[in-house]
Amino acid sequence: MSQPTAAARAAFHAISRATSRQCTRSMSSSTARAAPTKRPTAPSPAKFQTQPYQPLVQRRFKYKTVEEAKSRYRSGPFSWKAGLLFVITGAGLVWYFENEKQRMQRKRVAESSKGVGKPKVGGPFSLIDQNGKTVTDGDLKGRYSLVYFGFTHCPDICPEELDKMARMIDLVEAQRPGGMTPVFVTCDPARDGPKELKDYLAEFHPKFLGLTGTYDQIKAMCKAYRVYFSTPTEVKPGQDYLVDHSIYFYLMDPEGDFVEALGRQHSPDQAAKIILDHMKDWKGVLKSN
Amino acid sequence: MGLFDYFTSSSPADKRATEVRTGAVAPTRAERDRCWVARDAYFACLDANGIVDALKDEKAAAKACGSVGEEFERDCAAQWVTYFKKWRVQDIQKKARLKELEAQGANKMDIQTDFAERK
Repeated sequence: MSQPTAAARAAFHAISRATSRQCTRSMSSSTARAAPTKRPTAPSPAKFQTQPYQPLVQRRFKYKTVEEAKSRYRSGPFSWKAGLLFVITGAGLVWYFENEKQRMQRKRVAESSKGVGKPKVGGPFSLIDQNGKTVTDGDLKGRYSLVYFGFTHCPDICPEELDKMARMIDLVEAQRPGGMTPVFVTCDPARDGPKELKDYLAEFHPKFLGLTGTYDQIKAMCKAYRVYFSTPTEVKPGQDYLVDHSIYFYLMDPEGDFVEALGRQHSPDQAAKIILDHMKDWKGVLKSN
Repeated sequence: MGLFDYFTSSSPADKRATEVRTGAVAPTRAERDRCWVARDAYFACLDANGIVDALKDEKAAAKACGSVGEEFERDCAAQWVTYFKKWRVQDIQKKARLKELEAQGANKMDIQTDFAERK
């Protein structure tokens, strides 16, 4: 037990020593074996005198026997302690860098979409919610918001995506109550009034904020969020039609800046994780409930 | 105004069903689910009879899947019926193309554009 310990210590000393002293050690160690108690009368003493360095001579006395000294050279700088230290340090560094890499990647995603000056996605708006109350972009600030565009007559994709969104809301709510506002914006303002939105969204999640407005307001909103939508032209009153629109969830930060778009490739769990990770990274103040 | 009212054919339920069909009101969750079930039954019938485009091969589709087709049209908004029929054609083409690409050794991406699994 004491031998490997001594060996490890010796190895540490040896590594910390500068390479210029390497030759000194080999010379003195040869003399150490010959006459351990005698100070070496090394050549070029002037050089040694100028240096205050002497521990090499003292270290000689750490080995009580020649066998001990020999064993240190047999095992070299490796011992189980050195190995353990190496593995732990390595694992720690790998963990740290992986963690940091992921954080930087999220930061980059969030930063990349943050335009200089005017935000690239999102912006000011003034619409009415499912209760007929006016809602502006200012009301959404202070919390993350997840914005989805759709329409109540949507045949398949929106209902599925809204169910997915409801699942995401639950997952995020479980960890960050009130940390996120789920927003549904209709692309079909002609048919989706506050009442229609209220009935429709109640079937998905009670937390939904449904937004509608005039055609021009919705058009401006969709443009701000870079959402493509097309309502057929020349619709007669009472005629049915479908609206074509983009199907992304837009994650907006508490300052109203766009963070990331979540698409159909994300499962609710993956999406919730992405949202929660972004929330973790947020340095500013967050409203809750 | 639930699912079962449809079978009693009372007049408010009939009115509601007509409204859903014409697109005057947005369907509820139950109405949507019923439409999707009818759609899946109709598509299964088309599959069994080897019909891809129910709009183009209207006569063949009506002959082979007349009764399920009527149910499909009864339970879904007229716009949805057309949409789903068109979607079916595109979906079959897409799947064929994917198969072709896979045979050529293309890389698969994890994207789901299918109708999600329903309970």
